[in-house]
Amino acid sequence: MKAFLVAVAAAVVLATAASFLLAENQRFAYQAFATSGARVSDPGTNLVGPRWTGDIKEPASASHKMEAGS
Amino acid sequence: MRRLTSLLLLAATLALTAPAVAQVRAPDGAPNPTASSVNEEMLFKQDPKIHGRISIPNATAANLIQPQGREWREFRESWMPWIGGLAVLGMIAALGLFYFTRGRIRLEHSEESGKKILRFNSFERFSHWMTASCFIVLSLSGLNYIFGKRLLMPLIGPEAFATLAQYGKYAHIYLAWPFMLGVLFMLVLWVRDNIPGRIDWIWLKQGGGLLGDAHPSAGRFNAGQKMVFWMVVGFGLAMGATGIMMIFPFAATDINGMQVMQVIHSLIGVVFIAGILAHIYIGSLGMEGAYDAMGSGEVDLAWAKVHHDLWVKEQQAKTASGPQLGRGQVPAE
Repeated sequence: MKAFLVAVAAAVVLATAASFLLAENQRFAYQAFATSGARVSDPGTNLVGPRWTGDIKEPASASHKMEAGS
Repeated sequence: MRRLTSLLLLAATLALTAPAVAQVRAPDGAPNPTASSVNEEMLFKQDPKIHGRISIPNATAANLIQPQGREWREFRESWMPWIGGLAVLGMIAALGLFYFTRGRIRLEHSEESGKKILRFNSFERFSHWMTASCFIVLSLSGLNYIFGKRLLMPLIGPEAFATLAQYGKYAHIYLAWPFMLGVLFMLVLWVRDNIPGRIDWIWLKQGGGLLGDAHPSAGRFNAGQKMVFWMVVGFGLAMGATGIMMIFPFAATDINGMQVMQVIHSLIGVVFIAGILAHIYIGSLGMEGAYDAMGSGEVDLAWAKVHHDLWVKEQQAKTASGPQLGRGQVPAE
């Protein structure tokens, strides 16, 4: 039983480590395909909203716009 | 004179080409001005893919049509659910049939019952359980790719299914790494004891003791266990290699290559699940005393002598004081 519990814990730790390593290796399309001559905007805030809900007027972006306008 | 000649040539050209143009009509008789334009069939005669030029740096986005994708989708949506269902349900049915006809293989008690012999040490059990626990999650999340939208979504609804599938996908990608590590650990730990030999052929000819009452001789692992070992190593490495090619898209192969990888990954996956179901059955419900080997690591000496007699002799020869005893174990009188 002890070996089983240690094994499950090790699997979770290794999987978590893998998630961080894979995230380090991965970039969003707007980051990967932007060049010095082409700016690709972040679709997370201009198409689907910051929370991917389709609502682009959420408080975060609204306050950001207000700050930009003032 | 030159102008007249030009006019005559133009008139002759129009006279020759006009009937041909007039013949190109749609099925309903209406003129079809695009009939002679470039079509998909003509493009495929020049190249297996239809692609163009794009200005963004993502070169893979230039592909417009890749016909192999249709074949892959046809396989994935039509054939794969049937193959997967037959493999998994077929194995469950076969095991159920075996259980109800042969029954549980009981422990044969003898004067050595109660004495324990260490079969798997802590690190061996750790490696086994790390691989096994990952395999269960990988299997369920993998089956969800094939059957989830067909079986689960109608039951729990699209929102719950979307959340579950997303976390299942995370689990599949991340737990693949400890699974691959576990397969490598087991390969190093047990490869020496899993080299096939003549004794395995004899074991197989006698049905491994599963079909009759005879118990053929076996070393540390019998032929059935060796088959499970090589299946896990072979399929595990193949699943790892094909999976990595999908985790890192376009790193090693193109879109068609990734589709081929997905086909191989899913086909091996369902056969792998079926094989491991048989392994789980015989290691738990199917044979009394077998689970102890991976549970506590120690098995009953009477059980070991019946199922792995050559290994017991080898272990006893190593120790002058008779059978190996587990930690704190005292021989039963």
